[in-house]
Amino acid sequence: MGMATTTTVDFPSVGWFERLGRVMEEYRARHEHIGPIDVTVVWTVIDADGRGTDRHFLTRFELYSMVEAREITEDERFQADFIMETDAQVWQEMIENIRDNGGRPDLEHSLNRLSLPGVPIRVWADDPLGRDMFFRFNQSLQEFVNASVHVPTRYPDLGE
Amino acid sequence: MSNVIENLEVAPVPDWEEVDDDELADLEALKAQFSRDRERWAEFHQQNVDRIARGSFSLAWMDTEGSNWGTQVKPSSRGLTYDDINRPRCYGTIPEKAEYRNMTPRGAVREPYRDRLPDLPEFRLVEKWDVWADNVSTLYEEAKFRQWNATKDVPWTELEPVSEELEKAACQFATFLTEIEFTAGDFPAKWLCRIPNEFHEIKTFLATQVMDEARHLEVFRKRALAGGGGLLHVTPNFEWAGKLLLDTPSHTWGSFFLNLLGEGMILSLFRAGEFLARTHVDREIFRLCLQDESRHVAFGTIEMKNYLESHPEPAKAQEMLHAYADMTEPMIEAMLFEPTVLEPLAILMGGSVDDIDMGMDGVAFLWNVVREEYLQRCDRAGFDRRDTCTLYEDLPWKVA
Repeated sequence: MGMATTTTVDFPSVGWFERLGRVMEEYRARHEHIGPIDVTVVWTVIDADGRGTDRHFLTRFELYSMVEAREITEDERFQADFIMETDAQVWQEMIENIRDNGGRPDLEHSLNRLSLPGVPIRVWADDPLGRDMFFRFNQSLQEFVNASVHVPTRYPDLGE
Repeated sequence: MSNVIENLEVAPVPDWEEVDDDELADLEALKAQFSRDRERWAEFHQQNVDRIARGSFSLAWMDTEGSNWGTQVKPSSRGLTYDDINRPRCYGTIPEKAEYRNMTPRGAVREPYRDRLPDLPEFRLVEKWDVWADNVSTLYEEAKFRQWNATKDVPWTELEPVSEELEKAACQFATFLTEIEFTAGDFPAKWLCRIPNEFHEIKTFLATQVMDEARHLEVFRKRALAGGGGLLHVTPNFEWAGKLLLDTPSHTWGSFFLNLLGEGMILSLFRAGEFLARTHVDREIFRLCLQDESRHVAFGTIEMKNYLESHPEPAKAQEMLHAYADMTEPMIEAMLFEPTVLEPLAILMGGSVDDIDMGMDGVAFLWNVVREEYLQRCDRAGFDRRDTCTLYEDLPWKVA
């Protein structure tokens, strides 16, 4: 695959999400098969640096593409249809699980599986119909994250 | 397990109502109706026959007076959507009340033909407040794009064998889901021909819902058979819930029951499918269905919001909907607590019959999610149900 690259990118970072967006373009046919995705998601990474700093990344999807990725402040999270919130360790475990299983998570590590109980991933929005977009576009979002198998990732040192 | 089934009371089989199956009488009635209708249209038909016999043509239909001729709509980045073609007000204005109860499309030249057109009282949802949902065009386009195929989009060949008790639980759950998806399709299908074409966005969305539910009953029937097990027991108390739905005289009320309350619960069950799924195939099925159900929930929520905001007597609308919710909420419990539903859920959730208690803890957790998300959606629709909701706050369950 053309977009698969050996260049390592830091997680979490805007660059990491942009890389997922580029892989999404590479696999456009797959996304066209699933259907368009029109939603704005904020991914909140709790304790993103191992020193208690939370970071928030907004990604906006239109049709079959991620058209915007930027880091925002906590106060700007209202721009999202829904917010997906979990800590860096869970992210790392999920991404590594996707990698170890060849691009799709096992039964224990899908976005839906990790979020249903509210922990470790919390999916929330002030508007329940905004939150429900997580379900409406679930397969597209899972494919978006599954693309991390093509992105060599460096994680922060989170300590023990 | 068999002794548990023996302890169930067997309900008496109800008598069948007499069905008038005299086809000849039906034919005679239709012929009589046809004769009456013919008096309306035969004269015009004869004029056409005479015109053609004279070798004459009529180009009256090229007269654009009363039409919106010259209006060009332009596609957007995703093609030519309903939103795109509704941008010109002459085509996109949704009337507060449908004036035509027949098959004529909104925006066509109809007025000169008014006295020649039939009036079909079956098209009874003539008020916008009784049928509309502002998100319908978006959901319709989304529904078309996100169709999937239960024959080829599910990796059936990867279905892995599981223990017999888990396969039985999976098949029982699939039997239940097949049963309810029939009704979930029957309800919008029943109302399709009662919605005037003025509201074609609603009609076409309901058509996608019928297709969604058809695909769901197909996929769960296939799931039951694909693992070497098969369909198991039906769920009588679901049938009574389905009967209430189909008996419901208002589309919006029924949509509240089906889409907001019922499909809201099913949406949570499908989300939990990743806990229930013991194979990748099951997980894929639940995920595909999940996306469809969430569209229906979004439609039902906004339709109810429109109803409550736009009803000519808002307080009365609230009162009636509360009375209806008083009937429907117990039906959800009556259905869920059936052993053909609850026990297989708990076994799938726990992972085995031995772990059914643990599974019930999971089901109890899921129940809280169902209840809270239902109340949130009611809030969103402007329907404050929090003080009057009759659903158990916690599942009445404790380890024996």
